[in-house]
Amino acid sequence: MNFLTHFALAAPRTFIWGTVAITFVLMALVAAPTLSPPIAQFLQPLSIDADPENMLVYDEPVRVFNREKKDTFSLYDLIVIGVVNDNHKDGVFSVASLSDIYDLAEFAKDTQWTNKQGEVEGVVPVDLIAPSTMEDVRQAGPGAVDFNWLMDGPPQTQAEALDVRDRSLNQPILHGSLISEDGRSIALYIPITSKGVSYRVAQQLRERIASYDSGDQYWITGLPVAQDQFGVEMFIQMGITTPLATGLLFFLLWFFFRNLTLVASPIMVAMLSVTITVCLLIATGHSIHIMTSMIPIFVMPIAVLDSIHILSEFHDRYPEFQNRRKTVKHVMSKLALPMFFTSITTGIGFLSLNFMPIPPLQAFGTFVGIGVVVAWLLTVTLIPAYIVLMPERKFKNFGLNKTTDSREPSSFLHGALPALGAGAIRYSRPILLLMIPIAALAFYGATQIVANDNPVKWFGKEHNIRQADAVLNSAFGGSYMAYLALGTNQDTESFGIYIDELEARILAQDLAKRDMLALLVREISKTVTSRTDLLSALLADVEERLRSTKSDDEISAWEDTLSFLDTERAQTEIFKDPEVLAYMNNLQTFIEKDAAVGKSNSVVEIVKTVYRELISGEEADYRIPDSGAGVAQTLITFQNSHRPHDLWHYVTPDYQEANIWVQMKSGDNQDMSRVDALVAQYFADNPPPRNLTHQWFGLNYINVVWQDYITVGTAKALAGSFIIITLLLMVLFRSVLWGLLAVVPLGFSIAMLYGGIGLAGKSLDAPISILGAISLGLAVDYAIHFVMRSRDIAKEQSNWPDTARIVFGEPARAIARNVLILGVGFLPLLIAPLIPYKVVGVMLSGILILAGIATLIILPALMSLLEGRLFNFRPAGANS
Amino acid sequence: MKYYFLIAFVLLSFPISTAHAQAPSAMDIVVKAVEAMNYAGGDVKARIDMRIIDSHGRERIRQMTMLRRNETSGYGPQKYYVLFSRPSDVKEMVFMAWKNTDRADDRWLYLPALDLVKRIAASDERTSFVGSHFFYEDVSGRNIDEDHHEFIEETDEYYVIKSTPKTPGDVEFTNYTSWVDKTTYLPIRIEYTGQRGEVYRTFSVQTVEVIQNHPTIIDVQMEDTAMGGKTVLHYSAVKYSIGIKENVFSERFLRRPPREYLR
Repeated sequence: MNFLTHFALAAPRTFIWGTVAITFVLMALVAAPTLSPPIAQFLQPLSIDADPENMLVYDEPVRVFNREKKDTFSLYDLIVIGVVNDNHKDGVFSVASLSDIYDLAEFAKDTQWTNKQGEVEGVVPVDLIAPSTMEDVRQAGPGAVDFNWLMDGPPQTQAEALDVRDRSLNQPILHGSLISEDGRSIALYIPITSKGVSYRVAQQLRERIASYDSGDQYWITGLPVAQDQFGVEMFIQMGITTPLATGLLFFLLWFFFRNLTLVASPIMVAMLSVTITVCLLIATGHSIHIMTSMIPIFVMPIAVLDSIHILSEFHDRYPEFQNRRKTVKHVMSKLALPMFFTSITTGIGFLSLNFMPIPPLQAFGTFVGIGVVVAWLLTVTLIPAYIVLMPERKFKNFGLNKTTDSREPSSFLHGALPALGAGAIRYSRPILLLMIPIAALAFYGATQIVANDNPVKWFGKEHNIRQADAVLNSAFGGSYMAYLALGTNQDTESFGIYIDELEARILAQDLAKRDMLALLVREISKTVTSRTDLLSALLADVEERLRSTKSDDEISAWEDTLSFLDTERAQTEIFKDPEVLAYMNNLQTFIEKDAAVGKSNSVVEIVKTVYRELISGEEADYRIPDSGAGVAQTLITFQNSHRPHDLWHYVTPDYQEANIWVQMKSGDNQDMSRVDALVAQYFADNPPPRNLTHQWFGLNYINVVWQDYITVGTAKALAGSFIIITLLLMVLFRSVLWGLLAVVPLGFSIAMLYGGIGLAGKSLDAPISILGAISLGLAVDYAIHFVMRSRDIAKEQSNWPDTARIVFGEPARAIARNVLILGVGFLPLLIAPLIPYKVVGVMLSGILILAGIATLIILPALMSLLEGRLFNFRPAGANS
Repeated sequence: MKYYFLIAFVLLSFPISTAHAQAPSAMDIVVKAVEAMNYAGGDVKARIDMRIIDSHGRERIRQMTMLRRNETSGYGPQKYYVLFSRPSDVKEMVFMAWKNTDRADDRWLYLPALDLVKRIAASDERTSFVGSHFFYEDVSGRNIDEDHHEFIEETDEYYVIKSTPKTPGDVEFTNYTSWVDKTTYLPIRIEYTGQRGEVYRTFSVQTVEVIQNHPTIIDVQMEDTAMGGKTVLHYSAVKYSIGIKENVFSERFLRRPPREYLR
């Protein structure tokens, strides 16, 4: 028996109240800074992080690039609001609907606040996309162009409302983005300062929308809303389902052991373990993240598991001893070592998740590991302490009574399990033969697994977010934003050659200052590394000389020089080059053929639209001008508008970088990956002009990267943990064979789990791959209990069938009760509207049943087969 | 008794009303300010170096030569001709405007690369001037009749005037406040207040020089916190009263810049 149990039995009250006191101190350490930060400023408050991007470390290259490019092109994460009206003949293009939309856009502009750090948070009004904030450029009679707001106020007549529609439809950059493809609906794109404010902004907008009565439907979506909303609902779900699961566990424990006071003890252990673990997590400065929020759901079953072993054994043995203290001592002497082994292996299994470079996964692994150890400590001390504190009279008629009515569940197990054990031994060969095709099928299934995820699909189909997603993505270009950054490596590559060529061009010019300029080129080129930097420095130098001279001849000479350098610089402005724009145009046409790509916007659409309106307004003139100067003058015309800065979302002011805004109809990372591959293929098949380079960014692309980390990464982490657990068991059992045997149920559960997912065609998403980890905690536990008890019992028996008969008594009952109690206890998670929680519920039950089957059928079958190598039985008769 | 009261009232209020009468009226100051800034000399030629600096500190340049001719003496119709010389891809581009005081201005754009003359429709004059933070209206001057002008105070150096639009729906600001130099009558600072009561656009003059007896703005900038960034203008080679002919400001000269005035 464990020395801790000795102490606990010696001073049971001290142990129970001591643990409760420690828990309250920890809770206070968390509550103080959370509720009153100024007083407890040296402690860590509770902080919530619902941003899946934080699955990747802050300095992950893809995140660094994303931040850089969002800054370069002044892009923000977007909340998308679709407005639909099925009753009016013109959809939302009526006076009433557009008046509401106008009001909503005005309201959105004001949806800002100052946070504790004094920064303005909320909506970024200047980049809001709404009919009242956008404008068009169009023909206004012969020879005239007009820049006008699409809707500078609520329309007064139906004709004005239809004018807004017709003008929006005529702007390719708005068609499919602001206005639906069928011209009946409108989408507002609301940029926000950070993803973390999206729920608050969305809530304020929802309240405003609730005051409208024109019969329009407003659908709010976009990845930031979905992710932030998920974060919020996650906590609500934890708050509802965790108590429900606890309640059901409590009921099931009572159902099996019929002693209300007694079965309160495992619940107490589980709650204390969860509370201590979560408090430690928060107090050490970790934020509650999607992953770490699952810690209670993981720690709870593992904590209850060992308690059930104790209660089960206690229940079955009590009638024999009729004394609680004696029974507890007996039970603990049998279970101390298996419980220690299971806790050590499970704890190390979870701690090994630290090998993954994913911060939330590390925190998750560390604290589930800590939780397992805490649960073990509490189980081996508090449960015995609790039992000896209970008055003896509470145990009247308690325990396994062999004559009880057979309808009682414990009696059913009492009869069924030995039969199961006998069957497993008798048919060990057929069972193991049957396992071969099952294993093969599972392996095949596992190879069929497709890693795919989409945070929007974490919500149930009936959830508002999912419905909004469906509506918006059928009517508009798409609510998932991906951005393709284009650039060139021409600027720095072959810079040396460029210097020589520039010098040659200068000397070939009829410039009064050409020798001086050539000299300047040589001098300045020593201090810079790119063409654009060289030309900027030269231009600045010449401008300075121009300013400091008074002579007319000198002025004219330097002006000519300036003009030459200007022309040189225009050559470096690659995104004014019609050839480059044509390449982009073709690339966009190419990717838009993909079903997941709704539409794409770039500087090309701006150039073509303005050019069309400048020339004729006819479709035939919707094209790229022939010369770079033509492009430049088209763009400067565009910049005579109300929103000249809109251009810089698509191209940098030095025209060295461009951005294609790709609206996708799907947030599945399979789809994003396919489009990524399409672009790469296009670049490979069509060598781009000017050494164009490309790189994706944006939330939709980042999701692919971290989901890939999670799915592939967790699989790797699981494999690592599996190996570590196997090695550990070999050491603990001092036997390679026993070690391998003990991980068979774990291997079986994982294989079945992933094989089943593959065969069912369900894609492997982040929640599912994380959940694979819990099989570590449960499957290996049953196996260790089974194996250790078998070894123990075998010492006193002369053959395997006799041993097995005893093993299929109390030890097997404890495992079976575990399976039934935990398997049913987590089913309340099924009522959660968030898919990952349903998945947790189903998978927990599935894993428990699989682990139970593997432990109670496959293990004894294998042990029969390997009897000679595993056991060293005394010869028959030597016993008597 | 009644009469004494009335007399006392009249006497007490007398000094106040005389003080009002002596201070220049808001309208007088506004007219003088517009004339000082946009009407000096009968005509003028100037080179303008424009630097547009965005919220990221990225800079673009435009260089142009401007001709301006007054059609009447004092506040009234005018004609503007702006020829772009840099960057090279907008070289020879021309912007021309006929400023009208009784109706919207007439504006044209000549795009040499497309060989295209376009009239810009007379809808809204508060659109960007060639992508800068200046509006077209800031370049030619807002019509003074479009706002109510209110005298706020007189400091040691400035008259402070608050102007409120007569039709608020047409503009993005709720009002603007001008600091007009008491000696030159040049507006040295103009702050535009937005819908939320915040100053989001600021016009400010950095350098003034007297050229041919006319106090002339040399360095001026427009900062826009809503959009981010600012545009800085530097005027040079300013020459007043060079006798620019009226026919220069016609569509014919858009394609053929009048070199004699632009040198």
